[in-house]
Amino acid sequence: MTDFLNEVINILVKYRGYFLQGVGYTMLIALVGTTVGLIIGLITGIVRTIPTSKNPVVRCLLKIVNIIISVYVEIFRGTPMMVQSMVIFWGYAFMNNGQTLPLIPAGIFIVSINTGAYMAEIVRGGIISIDRGQFEGAYSIGMNHWQTMVNVIVPQAMRNILPAISNEFVINIKDTSVLNVIGVTELYFFTAKISKMTWSIFETYVVACVIYFILTFTVTRILKFAESKIDGPSSYTMYQSSDMPGEGPAAKEGNQ
Amino acid sequence: MSETVISIKGLKKSFGENTVLKDINFSVNRGDVTCIIGSSGSGKSTMLRCINLLEEPTGGEIVYNGKNILETKNIPAYRAKVEMVFQSFNLFENMTVLKNCMIGQRKVLKADKETAKKEAMFYLEKVGMAPYINAKPRQLSGGQKQRVAIARALAMKPDVILFDEPTSALDPQMVGEVLEVIKNIAKEGLTMIIVTHEMAFARDVSNHVVFMNDGVICEEGTPEQIFTNPQKPETRAFLMRFMNN
Repeated sequence: MTDFLNEVINILVKYRGYFLQGVGYTMLIALVGTTVGLIIGLITGIVRTIPTSKNPVVRCLLKIVNIIISVYVEIFRGTPMMVQSMVIFWGYAFMNNGQTLPLIPAGIFIVSINTGAYMAEIVRGGIISIDRGQFEGAYSIGMNHWQTMVNVIVPQAMRNILPAISNEFVINIKDTSVLNVIGVTELYFFTAKISKMTWSIFETYVVACVIYFILTFTVTRILKFAESKIDGPSSYTMYQSSDMPGEGPAAKEGNQ
Repeated sequence: MSETVISIKGLKKSFGENTVLKDINFSVNRGDVTCIIGSSGSGKSTMLRCINLLEEPTGGEIVYNGKNILETKNIPAYRAKVEMVFQSFNLFENMTVLKNCMIGQRKVLKADKETAKKEAMFYLEKVGMAPYINAKPRQLSGGQKQRVAIARALAMKPDVILFDEPTSALDPQMVGEVLEVIKNIAKEGLTMIIVTHEMAFARDVSNHVVFMNDGVICEEGTPEQIFTNPQKPETRAFLMRFMNN
């Protein structure tokens, strides 16, 4: 047992530079990939919920855009990210006389569009779960679709889909490991490299395991905290204007 | 002094096979408080939702200030003038009371922040909800929510306000506070169309009562005519049922 622990600590200390670099790239790819994926999801979600227009040209255009989005979602949800990485990376090389994409941007690109496909469905689910009355309330005071979405619907949908977003983020931290097939220098890539140098395969992967868990656990805690922030305080402060007859101190707590 | 604000001509609405509005004709003059009464399923709410274009009419015309709004390109601009207050309040759940009353002014009327806040406070004061500006809708009672919804509509400085059964989702105690607020606005001469089941209120507040039955307007007139001297047997039967309850 002490041998095992010694070796684990030994590996961790000796190769800390590699591990740190791996963590850096893994988090960079996961964070940017999730964020860009969310933006793709929000845009496609808003586009797919535009009410059908009376104008035939607009209606036809929307139909085409919707079909393109559906095809994108189905293809990227329906194939493994590891295979997508190979197809995109080598596909690019095939079409550019063997010139390959720079690795980190390629990794970010792959994770982004893959996440975008999932986010498109998550955001759509979030939007259609909002009560019809919220749309009608906004339309009735003269807001257009875009204003309604940005000010009323998306903020509420975002709150509801935050658990699903944090799910995607955690999945991405772990799934960046598949990018090692194209040689992206993320955490798994370095772990494999270290294990080949030390031949203490078990110990090396235990270290990686612990690091991955710390990363995902920290992220879920942070997002949980964000959720409670968005919900705001459960009580509110009563506002009293100066012309209201004084009732004790200027602010008192209201709670229901 | 009877300038027509909204007139409805041959309005029809069907949902698939189901025809809800058969042939609606009536008009509203500036400053009128029109109450629309009738049993559930007679098409009252559908008609109101057609006027706000939340439902697209199948046929007919809705003329607002001389223009058929079914042909307008700019529906939001029309809705900003003809506001709606809903049975289920429809306050924006992600905003405080104050923000609810400011957002329309800011985004639709493009008012600056200070003006929007001042206006919102003025109308919230009017409906007695000024102390609650920091509350979120989920922290309020039904009656309070509806008063905020009324302030939200008023803050848009509308031409007309449509009320779709504003008290139907409230318990009897809260009905009183909301009706009181509506009565106060009515006194100030705002044009209103109110769909309601509160007969005493309708009689009290309106100068024009429309009785709807089975997708058509069965009878209309002053409150005295409708409530004390109804002509049609359907109107009498409807009012009789209400008196007995």
